[in-house]
Amino acid sequence: MADSLHAYEHVRGIYFPIAIGVFAVIVAALLILLVRGARRRSAPGRKSDALAFELFYAVTLACVTVVLVAITFHAETPLDRTAAHPALRIEVTAAQWSWRLVYSNGASVTAVSTWHPTPAFVPTGEQVEFVGTSRDVIHGFWVPQLHFQRQLLPGYETRFDLRFDRPGRYGGECSVFCGNQHSEMHFALQAVSPARFQSWLNSQTAQPTAAAAVAARAGRSAQGLTAGRSAGRVGAAEAAG
Amino acid sequence: MSTLTVPARAAPLRALASTDHKRVAIGAGAVAFAFFVAGGVLSLIMRSQLAADGGVISQDSYNQLFTMHGSTMVYLFVVPVGLAIGLYFVPLQVGAAEVAGPRVALAGLWLLVFGGLSMWAGFLTSGGAAAASWWGFDPLSDSLHSPGSGMELWIFGVVMATAGQMLWAGCVLVTALRRRAPQMTLLRMPVFTWSMLATCLLVVFAFPALIVALALLWAQRHFGGVLGGGLGAVDYQQLFWFYGHPVVYVMFFPFIGMVGEIVATFSGRRFFGHHAFILALLAFAGLSMTVWAHHMFTMGQATNKYFALTSTALVVPAGIEYLDLLGTLWRGRLRFSAAFLFALGFIVQFLVGGLTGIILASPPLDYGLNMSYFVVAHFHYTIFAGSAFGLFGGIYYWFPKLTGALLRERLGKLQFLLMAIGTNLTFFPMFVLGAEGMTRRIALYPTSTGWQPLNVLATFGALVIALSVLLFLINVWVSLRSREPAGDDPWQGQTLEWATSSPPPRHNFDALPPIRSFAPLLDAREAAQEATARARGDVAEGAPA
Repeated sequence: MADSLHAYEHVRGIYFPIAIGVFAVIVAALLILLVRGARRRSAPGRKSDALAFELFYAVTLACVTVVLVAITFHAETPLDRTAAHPALRIEVTAAQWSWRLVYSNGASVTAVSTWHPTPAFVPTGEQVEFVGTSRDVIHGFWVPQLHFQRQLLPGYETRFDLRFDRPGRYGGECSVFCGNQHSEMHFALQAVSPARFQSWLNSQTAQPTAAAAVAARAGRSAQGLTAGRSAGRVGAAEAAG
Repeated sequence: MSTLTVPARAAPLRALASTDHKRVAIGAGAVAFAFFVAGGVLSLIMRSQLAADGGVISQDSYNQLFTMHGSTMVYLFVVPVGLAIGLYFVPLQVGAAEVAGPRVALAGLWLLVFGGLSMWAGFLTSGGAAAASWWGFDPLSDSLHSPGSGMELWIFGVVMATAGQMLWAGCVLVTALRRRAPQMTLLRMPVFTWSMLATCLLVVFAFPALIVALALLWAQRHFGGVLGGGLGAVDYQQLFWFYGHPVVYVMFFPFIGMVGEIVATFSGRRFFGHHAFILALLAFAGLSMTVWAHHMFTMGQATNKYFALTSTALVVPAGIEYLDLLGTLWRGRLRFSAAFLFALGFIVQFLVGGLTGIILASPPLDYGLNMSYFVVAHFHYTIFAGSAFGLFGGIYYWFPKLTGALLRERLGKLQFLLMAIGTNLTFFPMFVLGAEGMTRRIALYPTSTGWQPLNVLATFGALVIALSVLLFLINVWVSLRSREPAGDDPWQGQTLEWATSSPPPRHNFDALPPIRSFAPLLDAREAAQEATARARGDVAEGAPA
């Protein structure tokens, strides 16, 4: 199960204390050396090499590296995997400067250059698959509360799974600088119980015209992603010429 | 071949036309420092925008400012200033009369000047300066999303400055490898020269990738179809970061080298673990060519685990280097000069940047923190709180050699105090802001986020930094106007640059002392002390009981 929140907290719980501990040890050693060196009246020491000790130290550091990397790999593997049968699939389309989240039944939520986006609903405790792409430049789909982000590339589908254990509102931001109104490119997700989610989703599909339009647009974008990119390139060449 | 005769009084012109490596280096250092001040002014405007939460400048202007701030600091300040100091001191430290390729070195200076002017000329165009970040990454930087000549001028400027840096690196590398004094073996080269050797290797091997990336970007902007296809954006970043990570070490090695020299000199003892340090530097340089895609973890287009492994393995050479710095303090007899204080500032503060770098090298943590202010804090701790402190240490240490005059120590210590306070006030809050979800490169944020108090604190810190830099400029002015003569060797230095006059003559040395280790002047001093002690001992033994 891709549980980014748990993975982040697990690795942070090991890495941060080690980092703080190493910092404290080195600064303490430095202070001791400074105090002793400031008081020293006799001639400075002459010993300037301790190759055996340095070798031992290097091996110790290599062991620390192995441990850290093992912890990281263990936590990362499930994060990079996507479930074969996700409970829900949401297609995300990012553009300068908007988000569009489309559900498999055609329901959609859009947020255009806003600090206060209308939330898209997701069920709690279930694996939700996101399939993201961009219509223009690189954007970043970042949910800070889940400690997870993925970049959405033009003409390419990025897939990732997220799980929302706690009910409530999850803010989302574009993390990759994407031009003029990058600061304002926000989205929001509202995690509710699966039952409430289902009734919300059903209420969204009660607008057939909008749903049809979205479905048509989604279909077109799925087929024409690469075409859209090369069309952009033609436009670029024309603009330059 | 005809030589250009320059009127004696045209000092600035002389600086721009001389082929003396020392003049070229001072010219390059001065130009780079001017860009540092200019880039710093941009950051003050950005900081006031973030403290006021908008209203100072438009989002578009903000985007130009952070792009030009990053570009200026990387391409026009930290990289060139490190190489410039190498250009000055590597020939001196290896006992050479001249740098290899002096005219090539001069060309590097002109490329830096024109490159910088080209980038900054963007502000004069109707569309404004480049605004696609210092990465200039496609497709944001293509002609559709970044039309106008600001971006074009940026591409040309970066290519010119980078080409100039490659020329300097070639000169310094060849000087260290081929122009050493007869007794100066490779393993007798001082720590700073070795750090420059590692730096120049990285420049020579990694910087061409940036020029290729920018050439492709230029072709993409004008003809299209180069970075096309679904993953052209990824291709650009692979090339860019193949430059973009090694450059991080180009902005680190020269300064840890300086710190090593300073720590040894002001501990009054030989650098500890010289061979291990050299080995660590070379391992560091090699390893740093293999870690670039850790900047791309969240793209999902690289083998994250491989790059997490190589990035975390940097712990080994970094740990050795720290051990050697601390080992040099061990049983040292310390003199707390301004240069030494800046070196200590480097050691403590760079550590914060290094440890958070290990944190960001873990993909599960990077997924949560990438592109946030946590990253901004991390690299400012390495580049500013680390390297810039090393740089100021180096300036206080070597200024007397450059000019024959000492900088004022008290003003220097005050500058250190202000700069250390300002730096931590500015950059430490950014760790918290990043962890709370503040994205980098945003011009505005809703006040409901609660980020304003920490941003105000960071802005206040930035003003304190500005004050400390002002104090430095005053110090330089005062010290040059009423000079305290430095003599050849004001600090009891250990390396060859202290065995010649301050400033050194055109040909660097009238005579060289014997070179039997990496600290020839310390050898001579210790031998003299031993001789005195022996003489005294003989007298004592010979005296009647």
